[in-house]
Amino acid sequence: MEKVLLKNIDNPDSARIEAYEKSGGYSGLKKAFEMEPKAIIEEVKRSGLRGRGGAGFPTGMKWDFASRDPKFPKYLLCNADEGEPGTFKDRPLLEKRPHLLIEGMIISAYALKAEYGYIYLRGEYPHAKVVLEEAIKEAYERGYLGDNILGKGVKFHLSVHQGAGAYICGEETALIESIEGKRGQPRIKPPFPVNVGAWGMPTVVNNVETLSNIPYIIEIGGEAYSQIGNPECPGPKLFSISCCVEKPGVYELPMGTPLKEIIYEHAGGIKGGRQLKAVIPGGISTPVLTPDKIDCPMDFVNLPKVGSMLGSGAIMVFDDTVCMVKVCWRAIKFFEHESCGKCTPCREGTGWMRSILERIEGGFGREGDIELLQDVAMSIAGKTFCPLGDGAANVVLSFIRSFTEEFDYHIKNKKCITQ
Amino acid sequence: MIELTIDGKKIQARKGMTILDVARENNIYIPHLCWDRRLKPYGGCRLCLVEVEGQRKLMAACSTPADNGMVVHTDTPTLRKARKTVLELLLVHHPLDCPICDKAGECALQDLAYKYGPSEGRFYAERKHEPEATSALIDRNPNRCILCGRCVRVCWEHQGVGAINLIGRGFNTKISPAFEETLDCEFCGQCVDACPVGALGAKPYKYRARAWFLESHDSICPYCSVGCTLTLDLREGKILRVRGVDGKGVNQGDLCGKGRFGFDFIYGESRLKTPLVRKNGELKEVSWEEALYYVAERLKAVLKDYGPNSIGAIGSARASLEDNYMLQKFIREVIGTDNIDTSARLGYAWALKGMEETYGIKLNPIKLESPIGKEVVLVLESDLTSTHPIFGLKFLEAKNEGSHLMVVEPRRTKLARRSSEWLRIKPGTGTAYILGLINFAIKEGVHLKKEMEIEGLDELSNAVAEFTPEKVAELTGLDKERFIESARRFINAESRLIALTVGAAENQKGIETVKAAANLLMLLGEGPDALQVPADYSNTYGAWLMGLRPMNGGKDLYTMLYEPGALKALYVMGEDPLVTMPDAGRIEETFKRLELLIVQDIRLSETAKMADVVLPAASWAEKEGTFINAQGIPQPVPKVVSPTGDSIPDWQILRNIARVMEHDLGVIEFSALKEEIAKVAADSGQQRWRLVPVEYDLTEKPDNEYPIVMVTGNIMQHSGALSVMSKSLSHVLSDAFVQVSPEDAERFGVEDGGFIKIASRKGEVFIKARVSDEVPEGMLFVPVHFAHARVNMLTTASPEGRAHLTAVRIEPKG
Repeated sequence: MEKVLLKNIDNPDSARIEAYEKSGGYSGLKKAFEMEPKAIIEEVKRSGLRGRGGAGFPTGMKWDFASRDPKFPKYLLCNADEGEPGTFKDRPLLEKRPHLLIEGMIISAYALKAEYGYIYLRGEYPHAKVVLEEAIKEAYERGYLGDNILGKGVKFHLSVHQGAGAYICGEETALIESIEGKRGQPRIKPPFPVNVGAWGMPTVVNNVETLSNIPYIIEIGGEAYSQIGNPECPGPKLFSISCCVEKPGVYELPMGTPLKEIIYEHAGGIKGGRQLKAVIPGGISTPVLTPDKIDCPMDFVNLPKVGSMLGSGAIMVFDDTVCMVKVCWRAIKFFEHESCGKCTPCREGTGWMRSILERIEGGFGREGDIELLQDVAMSIAGKTFCPLGDGAANVVLSFIRSFTEEFDYHIKNKKCITQ
Repeated sequence: MIELTIDGKKIQARKGMTILDVARENNIYIPHLCWDRRLKPYGGCRLCLVEVEGQRKLMAACSTPADNGMVVHTDTPTLRKARKTVLELLLVHHPLDCPICDKAGECALQDLAYKYGPSEGRFYAERKHEPEATSALIDRNPNRCILCGRCVRVCWEHQGVGAINLIGRGFNTKISPAFEETLDCEFCGQCVDACPVGALGAKPYKYRARAWFLESHDSICPYCSVGCTLTLDLREGKILRVRGVDGKGVNQGDLCGKGRFGFDFIYGESRLKTPLVRKNGELKEVSWEEALYYVAERLKAVLKDYGPNSIGAIGSARASLEDNYMLQKFIREVIGTDNIDTSARLGYAWALKGMEETYGIKLNPIKLESPIGKEVVLVLESDLTSTHPIFGLKFLEAKNEGSHLMVVEPRRTKLARRSSEWLRIKPGTGTAYILGLINFAIKEGVHLKKEMEIEGLDELSNAVAEFTPEKVAELTGLDKERFIESARRFINAESRLIALTVGAAENQKGIETVKAAANLLMLLGEGPDALQVPADYSNTYGAWLMGLRPMNGGKDLYTMLYEPGALKALYVMGEDPLVTMPDAGRIEETFKRLELLIVQDIRLSETAKMADVVLPAASWAEKEGTFINAQGIPQPVPKVVSPTGDSIPDWQILRNIARVMEHDLGVIEFSALKEEIAKVAADSGQQRWRLVPVEYDLTEKPDNEYPIVMVTGNIMQHSGALSVMSKSLSHVLSDAFVQVSPEDAERFGVEDGGFIKIASRKGEVFIKARVSDEVPEGMLFVPVHFAHARVNMLTTASPEGRAHLTAVRIEPKG
């Protein structure tokens, strides 16, 4: 399939506006300005585009909600706080294709009648910050941003807001709090950001990849776009694949490409020809899959059928030399570190789970620890303020479910099954 | 209305209520730790989870809106398990030092653990934060903290301060001032009451008693006129702490630092224990009998030599109705004169007079809720959150609920900081600002639209004609466009309110300010409710009603205190004019020329030190009484502790003197006194609107010699003679200071913390400087109630009730 998102990516100048315009960039914008804002929203609805940040909410519907709210000003925020372990799909877009994102944002802002936009960029992406700011400067110089874009009377200003290293700020309401200069903690929903978002105004928060799809939708039309990949959640999708594969990296493939094909064809198979043991298909907070389930198409519809989720599409592959208890412990350590501290189950529960996993992994596990872990995880799942706690509980529950014998072995033999 | 089912009960509810609101209204118990009636839902503790049919997840009752047809279960095995685990999670890190925790016995975590909690923990860990030891009054032990965030939110959302926040994240989160510095806030202690566990405590109460040994009594705060209900906790006859109880009293549980920590003035070291009589130039301890006979004989002698009009009395805005009533009865019936007044003459009396001249009413009770729901609320040169803290909170609440809060004020007060619009005027020019608004309103023809006829319009429009936007801009220092914008907003609002204080301690507003505001509001068709001028102190309003003022041509406070020789004998009850009133030099002269100065007080005040005889009175909480708050509500103040030393209630002292003077007053017991007071009729006057021209002219203007304007007033922690006796409040602030702007500090070589000389046309004093951008260039702000600073040697009393700013110059002390 022809690359849409990663088009031209091998060109060393792909981030420059000249290169982008040469390859047809900003034509979608010009086309969009010929359309009514409402028509753009309809087009996006027709395309079937679903948010690429993890939750998979229909983008057109989100825009519709925000545009129906009579309050002004409205804000458009780009969620570039890509912080989930294993997820690095937005990075090439930010570093190599900044203008695609900017174009997508201008079209979105025009559709939403938003005059101000912010890119909330992960604090640990310093290079992306330099690239984005340079690209925004270029866009201003060419008249794509400003008070009167391309002389069409459209106003849109865009700037980069750098995060300070908190995973939770990838959650849209925490992101809004952070942009407002407050402590990054999620807000109560409802009201949802589409009605009460940044500074209390209607706000759309979209992922980098989602926004980067917009120019293409405008270019080929929603109808054509909806034919790409799985029609239930169509479009091109970026998959970041890492860990024990021969060719880790970011791959642009149609939505619904089977997991097996991604691992064995695109990523070159398991490293050193070893045996596949487990795959986390959508970033660390999605439940782990065992090798018997890898025929599953990678999309929002099919993964839940095998007990997992597409999430951000970050595939982590583990071979038979990897200790699952250790992976689980490391994942929980991440969640403990990133728990914002607002709600009790997540704040206290993640630390508790980490401690138990640590003692199992270290050879000090006790009988009953598995049941205890499950009990704590069950007390977190569905009871926390935001999905961060659910993610942590998912990891523990799915790892125990899929690899009970490894946990048992650890506790009984005080060492790992892989040793 | 919507209907939902909770635990099988069909319940009607209003739209917008949360499940928890509905449950509470219907006495259905749902446990919670982070919820607080006053605050926005937080949803952090996860104890209030409930099952909602059709919802996959458990829902937090505190933050889930109730919906029509919802079916809610609040107590199921799933929920009990979830709550038990939440408590277990909290208890894992909680230090379980309940045996030495002051909160034990009234701790929400303890109670919930008892109700739902696990009998043993399956896990162990601990927090290792250092308890914070250096802050005044508020004890912080982060190890006991359960991170519910109530303290943080009450401080920011409700109190408008933001002194503390959550710092760090996840398990390492802790509550702390920025950069873990020592707590430096207004010490209202609202966080202490909000804390469900023992992480925050009142230092003066630390290790003093177990909660279950305490005996609680409700009383009324002796400080300002809001009249908050205090819950006094006693052990063995001593008040150990004061709490606000949610929903109780006019304050609904809110308290300020004075109310919460200031009660210990009754245990002040300077309390009088026996009567004192001056012998050979020195005050000597004597028996009550000797003192009473001394007073009676001396009064009789003055009466005989000079007649009743040579005797006068000053009552107290902080003494009870009964005490004040008895004083005027004594003066009028036993002495036979009308020479009686209180400190209200220096402030509140002018507010009342201003209201009478304009609206025609003789009393102006405020309404605490008045700012809520008004489109524009204008606070005029008044630091309401300091002088009337709980009334002040209503302005923050109004703003949070959408009112436009306009603060016209030179100082960066809390309301100015939290305002929607802060118009930083030059000190004392608030009146000019209002006159400008009147002129603007007349020019815009607002009164014509209302089709009203009020007498005095022509005179008023002539009088304000000179206050054009240009002139107002020049006088106030505001930008002209900014003035016009604010004027337009105020005049065109659907509903509006002006609030200001005319306090005895303040010198930048006067009767002309009140009249100007009333004129403006009448033009806009607003009644007297739109002008909120609260009385000063706990019983200013009551003393006024009791007739503590000349009513038949008697001498008022100005004549009695500022005209040396006008009196031969003065009876001062519960007032310290030498410290709390302006132009102290003049008062001192008056006192020196008296033949007899009788001071009846709870402590040896500066005035008492000059007296011929000093009579020890029982204080607040040591005697029964009644206060009438600024809303005009009488509230009983019970006796909860024994009087100090030989002190007795003021009214009893006066009764006893009358007896010794062989005058039968008829009243013997407290109940009889109360019955008599109940018969006193309050004349609140009839509304009759009149526009009256207002003269505006600052009485003292800065010039080359005295280039700076000094403004006096009360502050958050202190408001006169009582607060400085409180050990707790003095712990926060015990030294006099003057605020100097950074610009003036540089110009006059003043250093922060250094002593400076302030000289006015009246004299000079030395005082510590605090360089602060709370005041603008060309202005000093100084609290007046520290006796040792003698700031009131510099100030002027105005018999016409006008603003009387003091022009001064400053220089570093050599």
